[in-house]
Amino acid sequence: MNTHATESDGECLTLESKLSEIARVPPWIEKLSARHGIPSPIQFAMDLCLEEILSNIIRHGYAGEPNHALMIRHRINREGSFTLVVEDQAPQFNPLLVSDPPVPQSLEEISRGGHGIKLLKQFADAIDYEPMANGNRITITFIAHGSAQAGRRTTTT
Amino acid sequence: MQISTEELEGGVTRVILDGRLDIVGAQEIDLKMNVIAGTKKLVLIDMQKLSFIGSMSLRTLVIPAQAIKGSRRQARFVRPERNGRKCSEIQRHTYLDSHLP
Repeated sequence: MNTHATESDGECLTLESKLSEIARVPPWIEKLSARHGIPSPIQFAMDLCLEEILSNIIRHGYAGEPNHALMIRHRINREGSFTLVVEDQAPQFNPLLVSDPPVPQSLEEISRGGHGIKLLKQFADAIDYEPMANGNRITITFIAHGSAQAGRRTTTT
Repeated sequence: MQISTEELEGGVTRVILDGRLDIVGAQEIDLKMNVIAGTKKLVLIDMQKLSFIGSMSLRTLVIPAQAIKGSRRQARFVRPERNGRKCSEIQRHTYLDSHLP
């Protein structure tokens, strides 16, 4: 993976490890949605899941250091199913092993955060985590409502 | 992300949030939200035009609400309408719904 260039070839988007780079994701998803007819609710879910996973990688995986890369690929599956693959070169971390935060009892407890991975799990239909020799791969699948592929699962390779 | 205010009858300040309250959007309005929270007595935070709420931006809504509540002033929220169902889901999963005044 190229560690410095930020690029987009349509189905693939490479970002630098800065929070400001996440602003490039929504227009990329809009283009994908127009090209592949991705339904609006799935477009929203993709947008949210990428915001959450990318911000986690940048803040925690790369500890806020710039000049690292994150690569997102869009994969076309069978009808009604859309997949995003996120790869990084950060220390291995499986978000699927993170427990949901406790139910907050006050506004103050909400402001402490910890909701990102929970939202990721809620808005994706399937999440696969795969440790790589030098990083992590997370595969997130979204299934259109009413599709024959209904069902939610999370797995770790 | 746009933020604007208008003064309503009874000394109420309506704060209109318009656009994506994502990481970038939150950074754009944080300062203004904190100033409003520190200076206005009765605040109506209008989220009808929000099209997106990310977990990182929850603080942008919560911290001013806390500040106002802690000083015995009042804040109220108007729920999002754009992508309302999805934004409501986010509020429900983060328990924001049950704590916002």
